[in-house]
Amino acid sequence: MNTILIEILGAIATILLAFTVGMLYGGARRKVIARIQNRVGPPIYQNFIDVVKLYSKETSIHHGWIQHMGPVFAITASITSLMFVPILTSGNWFSNLNFSGDLIFLIYMMVFGSLGMALGAGQTGNPNSAIGVSRGLSQMVGYEIPFVMSMVALMTQFHTTSITGMIELQAQSESWMMFSNPFAFIAAIMAMLGMFHYAPFDIVHAPAEVASGPVSEFGGKYLGMMMTSGSIFAFVKLTLFVDVFMGGASNLIELVIKTFALYMIPVLYGVINPRYRTEQAITYFWKWPAFFGLIGLVWAAFY
Amino acid sequence: MNSLIIILILVFGGAIISFVLNKFLPILLNSFVVLIMLAVSYFFFSIDAAVQLNFEIGGFHLQWGFTSAGYLFGIIVVVLGFLTLLYSTAYMNGKDNLGYFYMNFLFSIGAMLGILMSRDLISLFFFWEIMTWSSYLIVIYSGKDVDRRGLKYMIFSAIGAYSMLMAIVIVYSFIGSFLLEDIFTSIYAIGFGYQLAIAILLMIGFGVKTAIMPVHVWAPEAYAGSPMSFTALFSGALSKMGVFGFALVLFNLVSTQNWLINEVVAWLAAITAVLATFYAVIQTDAKKLLAYSSIAQLGYIIIGLASGTYLGVMAGLFLAVLHAVFKATLFMAVGAVERQVGTTDMTKVTGLIRRMPLTFIATLISIITLAGIPPLGGFVGKWMLYEALITSDHYYLVIMVFLSSTAAFLYSYRILFGMFLGQEEPEYANVKEAPLAMLIPMLVLSAISVFAGTFPGFIIEPIQKAMLVLGFENRIPNIEWYQLSVLFNSWGDKVVLQNIMISVMGVFLVGLAFITIKGYKNQRYVSTKDISSSGEVIQPEDNMTFQMDFYKPFERAIWPLLKRKIDDYYTDFGKGLEALFDFIRRFYSGNGQLYAIYVMAFLVLLLIAGTKYFGF
Repeated sequence: MNTILIEILGAIATILLAFTVGMLYGGARRKVIARIQNRVGPPIYQNFIDVVKLYSKETSIHHGWIQHMGPVFAITASITSLMFVPILTSGNWFSNLNFSGDLIFLIYMMVFGSLGMALGAGQTGNPNSAIGVSRGLSQMVGYEIPFVMSMVALMTQFHTTSITGMIELQAQSESWMMFSNPFAFIAAIMAMLGMFHYAPFDIVHAPAEVASGPVSEFGGKYLGMMMTSGSIFAFVKLTLFVDVFMGGASNLIELVIKTFALYMIPVLYGVINPRYRTEQAITYFWKWPAFFGLIGLVWAAFY
Repeated sequence: MNSLIIILILVFGGAIISFVLNKFLPILLNSFVVLIMLAVSYFFFSIDAAVQLNFEIGGFHLQWGFTSAGYLFGIIVVVLGFLTLLYSTAYMNGKDNLGYFYMNFLFSIGAMLGILMSRDLISLFFFWEIMTWSSYLIVIYSGKDVDRRGLKYMIFSAIGAYSMLMAIVIVYSFIGSFLLEDIFTSIYAIGFGYQLAIAILLMIGFGVKTAIMPVHVWAPEAYAGSPMSFTALFSGALSKMGVFGFALVLFNLVSTQNWLINEVVAWLAAITAVLATFYAVIQTDAKKLLAYSSIAQLGYIIIGLASGTYLGVMAGLFLAVLHAVFKATLFMAVGAVERQVGTTDMTKVTGLIRRMPLTFIATLISIITLAGIPPLGGFVGKWMLYEALITSDHYYLVIMVFLSSTAAFLYSYRILFGMFLGQEEPEYANVKEAPLAMLIPMLVLSAISVFAGTFPGFIIEPIQKAMLVLGFENRIPNIEWYQLSVLFNSWGDKVVLQNIMISVMGVFLVGLAFITIKGYKNQRYVSTKDISSSGEVIQPEDNMTFQMDFYKPFERAIWPLLKRKIDDYYTDFGKGLEALFDFIRRFYSGNGQLYAIYVMAFLVLLLIAGTKYFGF
């Protein structure tokens, strides 16, 4: 009984950590973008204010039970993925379910949320939501290809599909994966640009075109839960990249430095870019990113 | 009496009786076919593995009896056969020619069981032909577009059958026996070229039924054109006969060392999977969409088998079982929509979720299984397939499979959104939920999909037995089926299914409770017309659902791949043949004098060249 209690406490601690870091990163992004555009920008804790406000608002309508469950699907996927990603290389606090799943499982689990969200958005009947979903799913086919290529390259190079195994092997070889297979790293980073849905790949939410797309009928507690889920999910993605490419992190400060450095790539790339058209956003990933992914695969085979 | 005979007599006798029954007592027909199938299931599940039947016809020694591989597929046929027949009783209600329909339905079930129990090539071929023509007769049941759809199916089936027949003749001329046992033991003695020819010819035969590229062109129309209750069986069980055949050829006829055949087959299947998925994405008719998706899913199964590793074969067979489960459910659900609404065109049907909630739930579960999302059964199969391919160094195949499965999310969403979500149409305000006889099979099959995600043991155990026949050792630890929840790949990495289920369900229930309890009292349902539409007021008769050209940008992105259909190549080939025959016909003008000239010319040719070349 005691062990179960400790595990649940550990899980809650992990969720709080992911939530806080993710929210702060979101605030930092707004600040960075504002400074680049020569504005003052909101304070870095603005997202906390927003999410508290959203949760305290009263939601008086819904469009049906699938819409009601959409945000729950999203947060289920975020938290479950979080449970399976190793946060720190040592210590027992954040280990959760790290040894119960591997990279393939994680790739699939990360899709679960967007599909659940898409279902919820579909039931609202708002045409903008459906357009956003259609764009989002199409774009997913784009960026999953280079991403999977680089992940398969890692798995074959290391002869393991487990993330904890990859961290261990990087520690043994005293070299980060981003140096021992640079092409896979480039492909994965380029795929990450699409994964974060920031400009120029913000076709799903595209405020000026589809009125923020799938979320357009969600307000109050629904939007609050989706923001929570989004920030946790951002943390999951960043931590996963740190784990497989940068040898993981031995303490929280190292983790924050590494994830923040990674996070700035899509943010800074987005600031200076306008938006792609949907088909451009798909085919973008099938050109250079996929090419680097292929080289990464060949590299891994001869490593 | 031998229970194999009882089963066959029951099915084939039942088929003929049901035809007669429809003439005299049509009321009893429905209950009769369901009872027949119940009896067949009873005898099938009480079969002893050792039951065999040997007899001689015309001097040929024939043998019947289920191997555990045949038994595995037999389970699919019997269970799915029973459920689809139950579904048919409601689905076919009020249609004409029911006797004809049920006769052919039972004939195909019987033929499939016959294929699975035959242990010699003669009976295999015999039952294969019964299966082909009985399914053909149902494909043309609706009477529409027969010359195109029916002809295509017939021509490709004939090509398959003749290739099989050729292979059988070659085998007999070398080995002198039709028994599979004899063939499997002595196939390695004959020359490699013939071995290859036999394998290729047989695989063409089986490939037609699995609808593998490039002999798949009959499938979309045949699947979409048959009554949905039969398509559920057609795609779920009948196409698995091809998989069964592939398993026999790949593991018992071609030695596993012969990696080239495996590689070629795997790549053909991978291309099939990717292209069929792309075609499924751009369909607007739900039936056609599912038909293409069937072709793609069978591609995964063949990839798994052709990878030739332990985990790969297990993945292939696991996906085969699951595909039967979820694709049958999907076809049934589409059939339910067709029956209740009148069309399956996704540009017309919208917002049925509140009208047909149970059908929606069955569809949702099957779609999640199809997409391979954890924690349902599809994930188990997908996971094994990926791990098998990665650990056996098939990197590029993995990418193909990933491409296809990611694109599968697109059509998965399309079918859910197209039929059930979106704005409600006043025209469909009075649509009722499907009758119980249609719902029960769908919900039972969905329950299997859910169950398989956490307790895959109940499917893996019969698969393990079947794999012993195919020449793999037993790697499942000796535990009860419900304890099997940890899957390993050959590098020792694992996935613990029960933990996944606990985590997903735990978070989901807490989240759901949280979001439901907060402000529960003050929340009310508003219609899907009451949305934020930037000031524009939506009238009740307007429908704003985004249905036309749903994946147009994606279509533009993949356009270079879709520009040319294989169908066109066949049409061109046909036209080329026509031109050739036209040309030849000029020589056979029917003019006697012209023929006389040919004869003279030939004689002159002989006189001139004869001494030189023929020595006279």
